[in-house]
Amino acid sequence: MRQGAKTRLRRDGIALAVLTVAYLAVSVLVTNSYYQLILTLVPIWAVFGVSWNILSGYGGQLSFGHASFFGIGAYTVTLALVYWNLTPWIGIPFGAVLGAIAAIVIGTPTFRLRGHYFALAMLAYPLFILYVLQYLGFQEVSLPMHREHPAAFLEFSDQRLYTLVAVGLLVCGLIICMLVENSRFGLALMAIRQNELAAEAAGIDSRRWKMRALITSGAIAATAGGLYACVLLVVTPDSVFGLLVSAQPVVVTLFGGVVSIWGPVIGAAILVPLAESLNAEPGNIIPGIQGVVYGAAIILIILAAPDGLYWTIRDRLFRRALPEPAPVLPATPARQVVQHGTAGTELMRVENLSRSFGGLRAVSQVSFSVAEGEILGIIGPNGAGKTTLFNVLNGVLTADEGVATLAGQSMLGRKVHKVCRMGVGRTFQVVRSFPRLPLLDNVVVGAYGAGLPDDAALEAAVGALARVGLHRQAGSAAGQLTNKQLRLMELARALAGRPRLLLLDETLAGLGRDECDEVLDVLQRVREDGMTIAIIEHTMHAMMRIADRFVVLDHGRVLASGLPREVVEDRAVIEAYLGSKWLARQNA
Amino acid sequence: MRAMLEVRNLSVSYGGLRALHDVSLSVAEGQFVTVVGPNGAGKSTLFKTICGIFPPVAGTVTFRGENLLGRSAASRAHLGIAHVPEGRQVFKTLTVRENLEMGAYPKAARAQWHHTLERIHTLFPILAERATQLAGTLSGGEQQMVAIGRGLASAPKLLMLDEPSMGLAPTVADTIFERISQIHREDGVTILLVEQRVAEALELSDHGYVLETGHMVLDGTYETLLADDRVRRSYLGLTAA
Amino acid sequence: MNAEVLVENVLNALTAGLTIGCIYGLMCIGLGLIFGIMRIVNFAQGELLMLGMYASLYLVTGGGVLAFLGPYFGPFVGALCAGPIVFAGGALLHKFLISRVSGLRTAGSLDDGHFGQLIITLGISLILQNGGLILFGSTPETVRTPLASRAFEIGPIIGDATVFLNKARLIACVVAIITAITLYLVLEYTRLGKSLRAAADNPTAATYMGIDVDRAYRIAFALGCGITAVAGGLMATYLSFGPFIGLDYVIIMYSGVVLGGMGSILGAFWGGLTVGFVQQCSSLVLPPQLQNAAIFVVFLLIVMLRPQGLFGRSAERA
Repeated sequence: MRQGAKTRLRRDGIALAVLTVAYLAVSVLVTNSYYQLILTLVPIWAVFGVSWNILSGYGGQLSFGHASFFGIGAYTVTLALVYWNLTPWIGIPFGAVLGAIAAIVIGTPTFRLRGHYFALAMLAYPLFILYVLQYLGFQEVSLPMHREHPAAFLEFSDQRLYTLVAVGLLVCGLIICMLVENSRFGLALMAIRQNELAAEAAGIDSRRWKMRALITSGAIAATAGGLYACVLLVVTPDSVFGLLVSAQPVVVTLFGGVVSIWGPVIGAAILVPLAESLNAEPGNIIPGIQGVVYGAAIILIILAAPDGLYWTIRDRLFRRALPEPAPVLPATPARQVVQHGTAGTELMRVENLSRSFGGLRAVSQVSFSVAEGEILGIIGPNGAGKTTLFNVLNGVLTADEGVATLAGQSMLGRKVHKVCRMGVGRTFQVVRSFPRLPLLDNVVVGAYGAGLPDDAALEAAVGALARVGLHRQAGSAAGQLTNKQLRLMELARALAGRPRLLLLDETLAGLGRDECDEVLDVLQRVREDGMTIAIIEHTMHAMMRIADRFVVLDHGRVLASGLPREVVEDRAVIEAYLGSKWLARQNA
Repeated sequence: MRAMLEVRNLSVSYGGLRALHDVSLSVAEGQFVTVVGPNGAGKSTLFKTICGIFPPVAGTVTFRGENLLGRSAASRAHLGIAHVPEGRQVFKTLTVRENLEMGAYPKAARAQWHHTLERIHTLFPILAERATQLAGTLSGGEQQMVAIGRGLASAPKLLMLDEPSMGLAPTVADTIFERISQIHREDGVTILLVEQRVAEALELSDHGYVLETGHMVLDGTYETLLADDRVRRSYLGLTAA
Repeated sequence: MNAEVLVENVLNALTAGLTIGCIYGLMCIGLGLIFGIMRIVNFAQGELLMLGMYASLYLVTGGGVLAFLGPYFGPFVGALCAGPIVFAGGALLHKFLISRVSGLRTAGSLDDGHFGQLIITLGISLILQNGGLILFGSTPETVRTPLASRAFEIGPIIGDATVFLNKARLIACVVAIITAITLYLVLEYTRLGKSLRAAADNPTAATYMGIDVDRAYRIAFALGCGITAVAGGLMATYLSFGPFIGLDYVIIMYSGVVLGGMGSILGAFWGGLTVGFVQQCSSLVLPPQLQNAAIFVVFLLIVMLRPQGLFGRSAERA
């Protein structure tokens, strides 16, 4: 569980209980059967939205084909009832299992895609199933009625009982969502959404988490579909696999508030009655008016409140923010001295590393080593290949040739998160945070990535924050941090994974003189704790202060390496930075 | 000499940081002015602000007496200012010839197009050879020539170049600098060059400015700057904190 | 006897595939401009097709302005005139809605604005579909031309096998090809076309050149809308349509564009042609409902195995 989880769960749980009771009270009082139907449908579409939110909201993998799972659930329940006389009470969970299996089948090939390719591929699946079903003759399947023991088959004469079941389903879905949000599952998904590469570099196996999200999402969506079939009593391919069904959870969640528990609920509570009531009254006079208004509502909300109603309202009304429950932090742990090998022994060795892009040799026969406890500065003019070098060491890019080992083990040929698990922490030039989450949550991701269990992870995160001097801001939302603090946060995130080696990419970029000094002091402290650091930087005066040795790259090759004072006087280095003519003129 | 381009007290914020502090420079008509500085000094930010990509927090930019602030970036090209941006930025999916034609987009340039094109081909014969090749398939040096040719295509009064030597091998960069110098001498185009390679750039110019972490720290003629050790220390981080 | 019927069926399927394929090709060029080049995910592309059909219908039949052209010329001229009408509509759409979630405004954001584009265009799609239902009603329509029930007979070619070229489809196909070639010439050789390509290629550099990139995007978007509408108008001559017909063609359009390769207009045409071809030929072996399913399989295969398509320039794979 994340820090503050208990408080949040209690708060959300109480809200959930209150809302549930209120909703059920309303549904008991309403007698008009048409409105009762609406009251039943709202939680069904809401839980469908919740399922979508897990994958596409928290996880950021935009899926436009969730009707696949919805439809599978619906048809499972229906066909099981028709052919095996299986009660929906069992049929719905069974549908969930099939939905989960479908998620694995769909996800395995499709997760190789990114961005709009992923969304389009997901779009294709339900439509494919739709056409196949039409071909197989399942144009319209009615659920058989049972005169005896209707309740055993989820058939009720009183519409309100359907609402009760639907609300029950929604409560289950919301509880699952709450658990996800408050666990490392949720943080991992949000990290992937925010910046998949950085998440991988922090040790998160994005492929696995995305698949888990899809499976959870698919299972929940299937239960929604199964119940929908029971409520409507007739199932057609279009009504459960159609394009508009796929659009439903997207619209409902985006309208209500993406990446939040309540978003789909708010969205469904507003849009479903809106659509249905338009359907009923003006819809009879002008068929189609409900679609027009629905479409207009969607457009307006995405322009006016792009994150959804929940966030817009929360941000506006609670501008003097209800402080996040202040994290109950363990007392600042004593300085954790990182004991690995003896200072001075070789930690990382790189030999003849090369990487080309087309005809361009970005990294060419690079060799150097880093000793335990050392700070190595990697410098060179713009475009020298420094970041590419890190990308190869980190696993973002493959090497064309050469060797790179960490404490004797090869670093090459591994996935990014595996390299992180070996003990390599990496920061990037562009820092992205979860702006709405407290600093501590932003940092603990690194600890989760290293595979630490919850308590140890929290401790590691707090320790890391203390190391960089942000202990007091642990509860502040990351969106309010200054640039310097963001960079320190990123450093803390890397430290939380308890690495042996830090690869820092332009940590000081864009900082003023004083801020630079502060960050340099932090780096010194980190090194004194026993950390080994390789840092790319352009701010030369800073590097002169902190680096033990330099490696100078130019056009992908190592130009010089050695003590800073010596390297800076090296003719070849001066030439690389200032040009050969400068050198010639100086000596003339 | 009247100042063609005048930058006064320019301050720019970029991504929440102050990238330029109170920077001033001026380029007189017919001059060749260079701005040098180490990486991260803010040279490109300066260039892009003059071009209209970034709005300044304070300060003014005037071209031939006319205030440029408030004029959109695209409209500045029509005033007679040509930009050769950082990293070449050629249109990769257009041919060399089409790239050059895009340079002549402003109406005023189209009238003399044939004459201008001949001149570009004289300066860079390889562009004539590769006229129908896709610009994305050219080498770095050739792309730089396309970018400069594109700048010349609008028959500009002021040609601005942002780090044309970046990523190019030294000999190729030398050729580029020669051509730029040729354009200045033979066509009388006013030039503002932003560069990292100090000597090559300063050698060709009438006046040089040195930018360091957003401040203009030195300026003078080539000889004065060459003799000043502060330039080297600025680049190699030896200045006192 | 059976063999000859088979041969005849195959030949007819092939020719149908080619003729319909060319019209699909034109349709895909429209999406190619919007999705392939500008990378805007447009969920309402099918509705543009539909608008083209209805525009042509109202121009050409009843009291329409072009009714005087009669049922032989009218439908095809109507299809062409539907283009500018929907072009104007597309420009307005872009100005007020699409530009807010695309282009320079969203470049560099987390997902390049795709989330917003998807939702806004979904909203537009719903409004157009249902608005169409309100305005046009739900009765299936067609732009009647007697040419739809006549055919050129070519043959006998092999044995007794005769190829029947439906006249309406053939003319529609020719018009489609001419339109596609015209667009290609405009994009390749005119200053406007080159500036559109430049703006799509590198908006920053285009701005430096003095090109108004917002305006260029608007024109490109509107052009994409108009071209698809023309294709719709042409299709209206041989099939019946209602306000929701767009849904059937969305996946065909995306398949075609992705198959042909993003970023290539020529590719989009070939992609559309191929998809149409596959669809018609699959009618030889597959029952009608499965023909569309076959398109999906093709689409998924392309996206998995060769996402850069036949002519594409960049792959965006994991």
